[in-house]
Amino acid sequence: MRIITVRRISQVFFFTMFVWFCVVSTVGDNFWQLRGWPVNWFLQLDPLVAIGTILTTHALYAGLLWALTTVILTIICGRFFCGWVCPFGTLHQFTGFLANHKKSAAEKIRLNRYRKAQCIKYFVLIFFLGMAAFPSIATSLQIGLLDPISLVTRSVNLVILPVIDSAFNITSVSSRFYQGAWLILAIFFTTIFSNLVIPRFYCRFICPLGAMFGIIDRFAIWRIGKIRSECNNCKQCEQSCEGGCEPAGNIRISECILCFNCRDNCKDELIAYQTQASLNGEVTNPDISRRGLMLSLASGIFVVPAVRLGNKLGGNWHHKIIRPPGAMAEEEFLGRCIKCGQCMRACPTNVIQPGGIESGLENLWTPVLNNRIGSSGCQLNCVACGQVCPTSAIRPIKLAEKLGTGDFADRGPVRLGTAFLDRNRCLPWAMDKPCIVCQENCPVSPKAIYTREVFNTVRDGKLTVKKTVDKTIETVETIMAEKFATGDYYCIVDGNKRSRITANNENTIEVSENFAKKPIKDSIIEIQVCLQRPYVDIEKCIGCGICEHECPVSGKRAIRVSGEGETRSTNRTLLLKN
Amino acid sequence: MNRTSKNKLERREFLARAGKAGLSIAAAGTISYLLYDTTVPRNKVSKSVSLPDFSVEPIKGQAISVIKGSNRVESVNKAIKLIGGIERFVRPGETVVIKPNIAFASPSALGATSSPKLIAEIVRLCYEGKAKRVYVTDNPINDPASCFRLSGIGEAASGAGAKIILPKEKYFSNTTLMGGKLIDNWPVFFEPLAKADKLIGVAVVKDHHRSKASMTMKNWYGLLGGRRNIFHQDINTIIAELAILMKPTLVVLDGTEVMKSNGPTGGSITDLKRENTMIVSCDMVAADSYGCGLLGLKPKDLPYLGKAEKAGAGTTDYHRLKPIFDTAG
Amino acid sequence: MSIIQSRVKGFESVASLCLLGVIVLIGVGVLVKQSDYEMSQFGMDTIVEVLSENNSNIKEKMVFDSLSATGFENLLETEVYDSQTLYEKINGKAPIYLESGFRELVTQRFVIKKDQKLWAELFVYDMGSAKNAYSVYSRQKRTDVKILSGIGFAYESVNALFCAYGQYYIEFIGSSEAKELLEGMREIVQKIRANKAVADVETGVMKLFSSERLIPDSIKLYLNNTFGFEGLTDVFTGQYQIGNDIVTAFLSKRISAEEARKVFQKYHGFLLDNSGVDIPVTDPKMKIVDFYGTIEIVGATGRYVFGVHEAESRQVAEELAGMLSERLNE
Repeated sequence: MRIITVRRISQVFFFTMFVWFCVVSTVGDNFWQLRGWPVNWFLQLDPLVAIGTILTTHALYAGLLWALTTVILTIICGRFFCGWVCPFGTLHQFTGFLANHKKSAAEKIRLNRYRKAQCIKYFVLIFFLGMAAFPSIATSLQIGLLDPISLVTRSVNLVILPVIDSAFNITSVSSRFYQGAWLILAIFFTTIFSNLVIPRFYCRFICPLGAMFGIIDRFAIWRIGKIRSECNNCKQCEQSCEGGCEPAGNIRISECILCFNCRDNCKDELIAYQTQASLNGEVTNPDISRRGLMLSLASGIFVVPAVRLGNKLGGNWHHKIIRPPGAMAEEEFLGRCIKCGQCMRACPTNVIQPGGIESGLENLWTPVLNNRIGSSGCQLNCVACGQVCPTSAIRPIKLAEKLGTGDFADRGPVRLGTAFLDRNRCLPWAMDKPCIVCQENCPVSPKAIYTREVFNTVRDGKLTVKKTVDKTIETVETIMAEKFATGDYYCIVDGNKRSRITANNENTIEVSENFAKKPIKDSIIEIQVCLQRPYVDIEKCIGCGICEHECPVSGKRAIRVSGEGETRSTNRTLLLKN
Repeated sequence: MNRTSKNKLERREFLARAGKAGLSIAAAGTISYLLYDTTVPRNKVSKSVSLPDFSVEPIKGQAISVIKGSNRVESVNKAIKLIGGIERFVRPGETVVIKPNIAFASPSALGATSSPKLIAEIVRLCYEGKAKRVYVTDNPINDPASCFRLSGIGEAASGAGAKIILPKEKYFSNTTLMGGKLIDNWPVFFEPLAKADKLIGVAVVKDHHRSKASMTMKNWYGLLGGRRNIFHQDINTIIAELAILMKPTLVVLDGTEVMKSNGPTGGSITDLKRENTMIVSCDMVAADSYGCGLLGLKPKDLPYLGKAEKAGAGTTDYHRLKPIFDTAG
Repeated sequence: MSIIQSRVKGFESVASLCLLGVIVLIGVGVLVKQSDYEMSQFGMDTIVEVLSENNSNIKEKMVFDSLSATGFENLLETEVYDSQTLYEKINGKAPIYLESGFRELVTQRFVIKKDQKLWAELFVYDMGSAKNAYSVYSRQKRTDVKILSGIGFAYESVNALFCAYGQYYIEFIGSSEAKELLEGMREIVQKIRANKAVADVETGVMKLFSSERLIPDSIKLYLNNTFGFEGLTDVFTGQYQIGNDIVTAFLSKRISAEEARKVFQKYHGFLLDNSGVDIPVTDPKMKIVDFYGTIEIVGATGRYVFGVHEAESRQVAEELAGMLSERLNE
C-alpha cells in the first residue's frame, strides 16, 4: 500500500468526520444529534485557537489541551495536520485537483512552484497574534476570522447546512436563518474558487494556522528530502506538490505539508521521508523579512486600540448586543470567541445569530441574539450554546444556574437583557385594542409582564338611547354591527355598573345582565373597551425575548429586548440592588 | 480544393447556420407566444381546504363524563368507558389524530402542557380500539422539537406507538370558516387532519390572562398557522370560531392538576393545584363549561362559551347532557 | 536513517497499515465518546419529572394564622422541625416517621380563651406523599378508638384526634378530656381540610379487603420491610375474625404482573431461607409455608401479591387466601 493512498484515506476520513460533526451539532439524543459527539474536536486540535486564547486569557481552556498533541506531532513530523487532517485543506486540495488535473505537466509544475508571496500567511499570523498579545495596550482575539478551522466550521454551520436544510429539511424540521450569511459564503467561495488560479491558494498564501505550523516545524525530526544531491532535474516531483515547497531544489521545510506526492512522482526514487536534511540542501526558516515581520506586528498592535476608538465596549455599546446565556462579560467574551458558529448551529430555537459590524468590527460573526429570527427567543430550559462553545466564551452553565434555582437561588436567574415596551406601537397602549400576547408567553413565574386593567371610552362612543327593552338598548346613532360584541366592550349608563356587551347590530346593543336602572330615552350611554395594558417588571424580566418574538406588531416590535440589565456585566446594570 | 467545391462548402455551411438561426427565432417566438399574458397580475390566493367532521353519532346520556381521581390513566380509562368505551370512538383500521397541548418547551411537571402519561394512555386506548395508526401533533408556540422533547410527550407518545408530526410550512393549508369573521383563508395545520378518520383533543385546564381560561376550545389554537397572534385582539371570537370549525370525535379535559395562576405558561409548581378531575366529552363547550369551575369561574364569565353556544357548537348547560360522575383509583 | 527511503514495498506497506490503524483507532474513539452523554447537560432534561410523579409533593406551607376555632386562640408561634430536629420534639417515636418519608413537622398550640388551662397541641407531619401519611397513620392507630366518619381517615381518643389527610398526618392532643376541647379540635381539622385540597391515598387496594369478617379499620399500610422482609414494600394488611382466630391477610399491588411474581418468589425464598418448611399445595399461584408453627401463605395473581401472615390454623389461612385470590381474579 502506498503512503499517498493512506494520506488520501486520512483526508477523506477527517473531512467526513468534520462534516458529520457539523451535521450532528443540533440538540437531541438521536445518533445524528449532539448527544456525546466530540463536535469541537477539530477546533480543539487547532493550536491557533489555543495560542490565541492563551494570549488573551493567559490560560489554556480545558479541551484546548488537544492542541498540544498537534503541536508535538508537528514538531516531530512536520505539517501533517495540513496534508492529512485539515478538512479545509482537503477541500482546497480536492477543488484544486478538479480544476487543474487536466493541465499539462509543465503547466502543473508552473502552478505548483514556490512563490515569494507565500510569506503573506506569516504576516497574517503575526498581525492577528499581535492583536491578541499585548494586554497593556488592548487585546482582541480576531484570529477566528481567518483561522481555517473556525472559517470552515462557520461556513458549513451557517451557510452550507442551512441552505441544504432549507430545501430538504434533513437536520432541522424548519428552515434555519442566519443574518449576514452572504458574507460568510462570499469569503468561503473566494477561498474555494481561488484554487482555480493556484491550487491550495488559501493554504499557501493566507492560512495563519499553516504559517504557525511552518514556524514550529523547522526542528521537525523527520522531513522530506532528497537522498542524493544531484538528479536529472525533471521537476516531476513538483508537478503535484501541494505545499509549493520546491522539492526539486532546496526544499522549503516550512512550506511542505507532507503530501508525499513528490516521493510518489520521482521515477528515480530519490525523495524520502528521513531524519537527515535533504542532500540537495533545504530551507528550514520561513521566508519572511524582518521588516515585514515588524510591520505586521506593529499594525496588529495598533489596530486594536484604533478599532476601540468607537467606544463600543464603553459608553457607546450597542443596545442590541444581547449575548447568549452564560456569556462572559463583553471584553473577556471577545477575548475568547473565535466566531466558529457552533453555538448558532446548536441553538434549538435559531435565535443566536452571527453579529454584524454595527457594534464594532470585533463583533463580526460573534453570537448575538436576534429575537425576530428563530422559533421563540431564548428557550428557558436550554443551555446548549454554552455546552458546545470550545473556548468558554459562553460558559457551560447548568440549567440551575440559568434559572437561578438550587445552589444558585441567591444569585437569581441569568438575565440577558431587559424587555422594554414601546407604548407607541403596543396595541392596548396606542390603539385601544386588547392583545397581551407578550404577557401570555412570558415564561417566568411569576410573569415579568403584568397588566393593569383600564376602561377607555371608544371613539364616538357616546350614544343616545332611543329605548330600552330588557337587556337591549336601541340607539339613535348607527353603529357597526358586531363591532362591540367581542366580549371586550362594555356599556356604562348613569346609575348602573358597567355591563358587558354581548351582541350589537346597527341600532341595538345587548348587554349580559339586566339593568338595575333602565336607561331612559335620550339619556347618554358610553361604550368602553376593557384593556389589559402590559407592563414589564424589571425585577422579574430575564431578557429571554420570547415576548419580542411573539409580539403581533410584526415590523418593529412593540416590545423589544435590549442589553440593559444583563447579568454578565455590572456596567450595563439598570436595577438597583434591594 | 477547387473554387467551386469551396463555394459549395461555404453555401452548405451558410444554409446550416441559417437553419439553426431560423429554429432559434421560431423557438423564441413560440415561447413568447405561449407565455404572453395581457392580464394585470394579481396576488395569489391559495386554494382552500375544508376540515372534515370527525364527530361520532351522539348517544343520549353518554355525552360527557367527569371522573374524580388523582391518577390520570385510571381516570381517563374510566371516563371513556362510561360514555361508551373506546370502541364507540375508534373503529378498527381507523387513523386517529391526537392533539394535546404542547405549546411550551417546559417540563411536564410544570403543567403547562398535557401529561405525557395521559397522552400515552390515550394512544394505547386508540390501539386497543384497533386503530391502524395514531398521530400526535401540535403547532407549539415555542420551538416545536424542544416542546415535544421537554414536555415528554414526544417520547411518551412514540413509546406508545404513535407517530409524531412536527409542523412544517408545507403542512399548512388555508381554510375558511363559513359565516366566520376571523378564520378567512387562514392557514391551519391540515396535514395530520387530512390523514385522520378521528380527532381527539386533549387539553389542560389553565389560567389564561386574556381569555380567563384555556381549555379544550382554546387548545385548537394550536392548529392555527401564520401570524395567529393577531387574533388575540379578539380572543373570544377566535376561540368560538375554532370551536365551530373543529368537529372532534372527543375532547379530554385534564383537570388533575390545574394551573391556577401565571397561565398559560406557569413556570412553577406553585402555580398548580390538584383538583383531581378528568372530563371526557363529545361536546367541548360543555366540557369547558364544567372545566371553568375548576378555576373558580362560571360559564358566563367566559364570553367565548356563550358565542360558541349561540353558534350551535355545544351547550354551556352541561347538566342537560346528564354528565356521568364517578371516581377512579 | 530514512524511514521510507526507497520503495521497498513491504516497509511502505507496514508504515501505511500502521497509520491506517491509527485512523481506525480515532474512529473507534469518537464512536465510544458519542455514546457517553447526559441530556441534562444541554438543559433539555425533564428535570422536574421526578416531582411530578408524586405531585402531592408540592410544598405549600400550612397556614396556621387563620386557623382557629370559636373560643380558641393561638398560643405561641408555630414550631417547625425537620428530620434533624424531630427527635427534640418526639424523641421515641421519631424513627417511624423518618423511615416513612418524613419531611417536616409543624406544631401549634391552641388554648381556650376562657379557661387557659385547657389547651391542645396540633402536630402536622408533612410525610411527602399521601401513601406515607396513611402508612404512619394506620400503623399507629390505637385500639378502642372512635372512628370519625366524614373526614376521610380519622379517629378520636378521649382527648385526642388523629387523621391522615393527603400528604399530611395530623395529631391533635388535648390537655384534658374536656368536651369543648375536642370540639374545637374537630373544627380546626375541618378547616385544614377546607383550606387545602389534596390527593388522598388511593383506596383501590384497601377495598379488596372488604368482608363481613374483616375487623373494621384494621387495615394498615407498611411501606417497607414488611414482616421483616426487605423486598416486601407497599403492603396493606387487614385483620379478619374467622371463628375464634384473628388472622392477618396482606395485599400489595405491583408495577407489573412480572414484578408481582418476582416479589412472590423472593418472599417465599425468604421464608424457606429462614427455616420455613414448604407444605405441598396444588394451586401453583400460591405457596404455604410452616413457619415455626404458624402458617404463612404467599401468592401472586396479576399485579397483586397476596397472602396470609402468622395464621394459627392451616384451614383458616387457606380459606382466607382463597377468598383473596378469588377476589383478585375478578
